[in-house]
Amino acid sequence: MALIELEQIGRRFGNHVALHDVTLRLEAGRIGLLGPNGAGKSTLLKILMGLLQPTEGRGRLMDVDIRRGGIQLRRLIGYMSEADALVPGLRGAEYVALAGQLYGMPRGEAHRRAHEVLTYLGLEEARYRRLEEYSTGMKQRLKLAQALVHDPPLLFLDEPTSGLDPAGRDAMLRLLLTLGREHGKSFILSTHLLNDVERVCETVVILYRGRVIEQGRTEELRTSRYDRYRLQVEGKLGGLVDDLRAEGVQVLSATRGRRAVSLGPEIDAEIGENGRLPVSELIVLVPQDWRTRLFFTLADNRGVVIRGLQRDDEDLEQIFHRKIQETGTTEAVRHGAG
Amino acid sequence: MGRVSLLGYRPWQGTLHGAWMTPWPISRVALGMVFRRKLFWLLYLLGLFHFLVYFGGIYLFYQIDIPSLAGSNPQVIRFWTDTVRAIQEQLYMAGTKETYRNFIWLQGYVVMAVLALAGAILIGNDYQYGSLPFYLSKPLTRWHYLAGKFLAVALFVNMLTTLPALVLFAECALMEGWSYIENRADLLLGILGYGAVLSVSLGTLVLAVASWVRKTVPLIMVWVGILFFGRAVADSLVDGLGLDARWRLVDMWNNMYLLGSWCLDVAPQLESGRRFITRPQPEVWEAAVVLAAVCGACLVYLDRRIQAVEIVR
Repeated sequence: MALIELEQIGRRFGNHVALHDVTLRLEAGRIGLLGPNGAGKSTLLKILMGLLQPTEGRGRLMDVDIRRGGIQLRRLIGYMSEADALVPGLRGAEYVALAGQLYGMPRGEAHRRAHEVLTYLGLEEARYRRLEEYSTGMKQRLKLAQALVHDPPLLFLDEPTSGLDPAGRDAMLRLLLTLGREHGKSFILSTHLLNDVERVCETVVILYRGRVIEQGRTEELRTSRYDRYRLQVEGKLGGLVDDLRAEGVQVLSATRGRRAVSLGPEIDAEIGENGRLPVSELIVLVPQDWRTRLFFTLADNRGVVIRGLQRDDEDLEQIFHRKIQETGTTEAVRHGAG
Repeated sequence: MGRVSLLGYRPWQGTLHGAWMTPWPISRVALGMVFRRKLFWLLYLLGLFHFLVYFGGIYLFYQIDIPSLAGSNPQVIRFWTDTVRAIQEQLYMAGTKETYRNFIWLQGYVVMAVLALAGAILIGNDYQYGSLPFYLSKPLTRWHYLAGKFLAVALFVNMLTTLPALVLFAECALMEGWSYIENRADLLLGILGYGAVLSVSLGTLVLAVASWVRKTVPLIMVWVGILFFGRAVADSLVDGLGLDARWRLVDMWNNMYLLGSWCLDVAPQLESGRRFITRPQPEVWEAAVVLAAVCGACLVYLDRRIQAVEIVR
């Protein structure tokens, strides 16, 4: 039985299409749901939690129909929201116990379990503090505790590292990894932070403008991400650019001062005869297993000097754009062939 | 951020209840939050003061034995005779149906003050501090959430009206004996009925107003506007301008009073002893229809208001 199976799920709000033709089959495990704001992550989560009906398609979550499940779906899911969603005036243990009772646990059991989960998450000493006195990191763990209290098979984690400092973020990600690896918890980590997903998740789904543009193992996503470099080069570029291309490097752009420079044969046309060699900047995509030493070797061969070299990897936004371009090209080719 | 405990994560195996149980913890938490406020206890004590006056009046009524005073100073006899008559005919503290109607009606003013305070804490805070997504992301519907909040409001209303009225009934029964219960058992139903009318009407009204204005001070202003301004308008229209008695239906408090009087089988015109006023009143069924319509509108508003909350942002 798959954890989640969706077939051509769509959701419209009037003329706005929030989700379109989402087809997914996700096995139990650590799943990352990536996408920029407005990608449709929240809509998808709402549909999976039975809070929103899809306008098209069908699907099942742990064998429960997402159109009819409603309450049954939310009993299977522990939801950790991005917003604070606290009940002011309550103490930590009371808050988690309340969550347990709302999930349907008997009162006594909910209280016992609340203490157990808070202790597990390192909030033992803060259990009796009022929620208003919790720090951001503690609130995040508290929200995780209320999602875990009834020991659900599946967790929905909405931006769990939001607002955390680097140490707090690291601790939260380690915690999630432990829950997934050692305690067999499946979760969907909804975020726009690629690095969080890379660290914690086995599977990744990328949403963009309501469509799934990528779905697969995180390893595959990682290898599909190009390594980019920013080179500051003093001297004529023509020969170096040719050599780089011959080595499989894609030269994306060249600038001199603030002006963009054409990458064609006229690349060095503007260099004067006064002997002054300007500094240009190249942004390049390198193939897998590229060694940076090669930049220097090639530059040396052409008599140019590399003044600066910086990694400039694709961020998520750039991957999105590339994936969309690729998707667009594929569709265009398909239509052309048709 | 601290380290994960070495105790490790332990799975939980148990049976989860259905959603029908969820209103209880919601109302318990809501009650707990209001009970922590000192102002609530101050208002409650104020309500109890009124109750103590009735309690003392009933006690005096049953304890003063005029024949046993024979031989005493005529002035003393006259004083106690007047007192008993005042309790019986003017203050209506003799354990009659008017006793309970008047008591609950007067307690209503304290109820209004308590609900103005409690409304913002009960539901306004859920909007203001984002607690609603916490509740609604759990396996329950918005009706379970509202039922939980409504239970809490109903408890406040009944703590100040039905419960003390039942204590007064028990006092009368103790003083008069079993015959009081036998002869006045219908009063028990009347008391519970009036309590139910107040709980349902005030409960839905305060929840709707609190989800609209959210904060305590604006809530008090709107609350006062609905209940006191409504009365002033109704009195001006009916008593001042001599318009049809149906104009009094804009006074929600009067509508509840009419229904409560009907529950206790008391003529609605009778307000209190010396201030016996025959005021033109609408029919009870008309008041019931208006209250039902207002409650229905409040529920529709609450439903839409809660539906609009973004649970997953």
